Amino acid sequence: MYGTLLNMKYNLNRVITLKKAKQVWSATRPPAMAEAEAEWELCKENIQPLRRGRAISTLTEALSLQQEGSSAITQRTQQAFESELRIYEGDDPLDVWDRYIKWTEQTFPQGGKESNFSVLLERAVMKFTEEKKYYNDVRYVDLWIKFADSCSEPLDIYRYMHAQGIGLMLSAFYIAWSEEYEKRGNFRNADTTLQDGLKCGAEPRDRLKQFHKALQARVTRHVMLGMGQESDDDTMEMEEPNRKTLAELKALGKKKAVAPISRGSSIVNTQPRGLQMKAPMAPVRNSRLMVFDENKGLAESQEPKLESWMGPPSARHKENEQKPDKWTKAKLPQKTRAGLPVVMPAPAKPSFQPFVEECEHTPAVTPCKINPAVNCVLSARKPHREETPLKRLQDWKEQQQQQQAGGSQAPGTNGKPREQSMYCKELLFSGASEFCFEELRAERYRQKHAQRLVASGSGQSAAAGTSAAGTSAASESFCAGQSSSGPSQ
Amino acid sequence: MLDNAVNWVEKGDKDFSDFRLTDVRRFHGPCRLYGITFYISNTAHPTMSLFGTTAGFGTGGTSVFGSATTDTHNPMKDVEVTSPPDDSISCLAFSPPTLPGNFLIGGSWANDVRCWEVQDNGQTVPKAQQMHTGPVLDVCWSDDGSKVFTASCDKTAKMWDLNSNQAMQIAQHEGPIKSIHWIKAPNYSCIMTGSWDKTLKFWDTRSPNPMMSLQMPERSYCADVVYPMAVVATAERGLIVYQLENQPSEFRRIDSPLKHQHRCVAIFKDKQNKPTGFALGSIEGRVAIHYINPPNPAKDNFTFKCHRSNGTNTATPQDIYAVNAIAFHPVHGTLATVGSDGRFSFWDKDARTKLKTSELLDQPITACCFNNNGNIFAYSSSYDWSKGHEYYNPQKKNYIFLRNAAEELKPRNKKW
Repeated sequence: MYGTLLNMKYNLNRVITLKKAKQVWSATRPPAMAEAEAEWELCKENIQPLRRGRAISTLTEALSLQQEGSSAITQRTQQAFESELRIYEGDDPLDVWDRYIKWTEQTFPQGGKESNFSVLLERAVMKFTEEKKYYNDVRYVDLWIKFADSCSEPLDIYRYMHAQGIGLMLSAFYIAWSEEYEKRGNFRNADTTLQDGLKCGAEPRDRLKQFHKALQARVTRHVMLGMGQESDDDTMEMEEPNRKTLAELKALGKKKAVAPISRGSSIVNTQPRGLQMKAPMAPVRNSRLMVFDENKGLAESQEPKLESWMGPPSARHKENEQKPDKWTKAKLPQKTRAGLPVVMPAPAKPSFQPFVEECEHTPAVTPCKINPAVNCVLSARKPHREETPLKRLQDWKEQQQQQQAGGSQAPGTNGKPREQSMYCKELLFSGASEFCFEELRAERYRQKHAQRLVASGSGQSAAAGTSAAGTSAASESFCAGQSSSGPSQ
Repeated sequence: MLDNAVNWVEKGDKDFSDFRLTDVRRFHGPCRLYGITFYISNTAHPTMSLFGTTAGFGTGGTSVFGSATTDTHNPMKDVEVTSPPDDSISCLAFSPPTLPGNFLIGGSWANDVRCWEVQDNGQTVPKAQQMHTGPVLDVCWSDDGSKVFTASCDKTAKMWDLNSNQAMQIAQHEGPIKSIHWIKAPNYSCIMTGSWDKTLKFWDTRSPNPMMSLQMPERSYCADVVYPMAVVATAERGLIVYQLENQPSEFRRIDSPLKHQHRCVAIFKDKQNKPTGFALGSIEGRVAIHYINPPNPAKDNFTFKCHRSNGTNTATPQDIYAVNAIAFHPVHGTLATVGSDGRFSFWDKDARTKLKTSELLDQPITACCFNNNGNIFAYSSSYDWSKGHEYYNPQKKNYIFLRNAAEELKPRNKKW
């Protein structure tokens, strides 16, 4: 309770000081600039925050573009990036993806479907899962962190990365991971993660140390303030809810990050808002660092084990997207074509270990009141119900393995003749949107043409001039040939 | 014959003065007798079995032109068009019935558009050509046969007046123009251009500004027009039907009957010669027949697989190829499809059967079309870029073949 009031006051203070600051700030700036800055203030809520922050100039530009509706430039740049993705032949394909994603981030402040941001991120992340050389590349790990942020279960992603060895030498990885734990209130793991990073010798070391110190400071502060307030998600559910006058902002799903999300030093504000008059709890519950929570304990102790992950776990559930499914009923001309779900046959001998989540779905550890013998309360997720990136990557990896073993298999077919597409699928579909053969070819033509112009324009304009004259002379000869036969009608 | 340039990039500058006009003739010159049935004089042209063995053909030059060939560039022993373009042929179009005789227009990735006269004895005579500053993606004729419209990657479309052999620009887009069609309505005539800049524009050829510009959800990949219907297939499996009466407007957006990228589309007509539906080809060996207002959509609309290899053999994986073009026979209503596998096939959509499949050519077949009375089927053999640029061989010759289509495309049963 005391903590809540303190938080409210803190926030109020922040708002007031911000307002004052704005007034002072705008008073000192020339009016035009003040207006420009006020512009983005007006739609602040529509702008997704970035970890690294946004450049104000690009932000205002992007916002004004959107208002004016001049999306032609954006479209062209997007198309240019898509082409570059497919044409690039150098050693560092990650560079193109990296630039494309960064540009998308800056140009589409609201995110949204037209930016294809999540699609791009997912593709980029998956494309290089085999490239060990990128595993400790800052850009690649940054992509993974962004991807994790956009997923419904970032912890799974980080665990997967750890299992695969992605980012183990980069402190950004450990920092992001521990931040995620902190958000959940799991300080012990946050601490452990950072310590792991220090042990592994992640770079840059100073940053890691600094963050570790800051974390410890936050933890101690939280312990001091945390009298009577438990930020444990599970125990909150078990408390008898008093009648809440101001309902707290409770997030849906597992993420449970309560607004406002502040990435600053006061990251610890995960306590419920609202004028809850909770009687001071009889047992003074210290922070969870003290209490042995069997749920977390068992779960987390299994972490260090390197699971043979085949693919990163599910990203955000996508409702509106339709994956091209196999045409299972080719003979029946029926109308329900697009909606046929792919019936995933349970693999007879899975070549991978399906990931079993430790929390909640393992009945033995759930502190549930139901008879533990009855373990079908929360049934395992059926494989074909959700088309998640996890599934997709697992399928893809399975395919790859089978291809190496011999013979390729299209997903979803069972007993039907296997099929193999005889065109360059990867080239066509490598970006966020598809290309057709002609677009690929036109792009290559344009590149070569541009190179030729540069080469010829620099010192050989005379030669170009004569060749142009040559072609026009040739076409003239056709005309001469035609008209010489008589008056044309 | 023209030499192929060593480096295809140079072709744009190539001097075409050696493209000889062997038969200088005006386009409205002395008329051929229009009623004569057109026979392709192929010296060895017995009736071939469907998957014919080549026994019975002479070993010497079986095509009218060219030297004796033992390679598979022309396994069907069809007539080769003289002076084919130097690079992949993207589009073919025969002259309309208003023009006496048969004239074939072909656009290619060598930035040129060429015109041949196809004579009744089977000879092809190069007549003229025009250049763009970028690869030509589509061509079409005006309804009176005096003009040819060409669309190119250089974002422009040109009108080529065949009588004066002059070409002038009539359209401008922000991206390459993928399709161009002539619309002849009772109260207006215009050109329809579909482009990768996601717009569909209509041009009166006399004005530099479009009469109308319609926004599309995605880039236009292929289109077809049979007045009063136009259909455009876009990227991301979009499919839009437009009605052209009075003025063009969007009629309906259709959920794609296919699961893969759209590649080609062709409108077909009913017995009353009214457009009633279209055939849509995808990048994975499948064509969908879709009626606009069928009495029983579930039964009447269907798809069929095509351009696949190893049909019945389940041991080896089936190779699936893209359908590059579809054309309907103007008289019989049967259709022809050409694919990336290097074969063409004829189909009867009403009887839902395959009429014929050709032998395997050594290159993909990129374009096809019928002449105005359905006696000639033209198809082009060149690389369609289906496997990217690694498989591109600039040295490989490109061909256009002509085949007698009068008999082979007769429908199975007399439904038509």
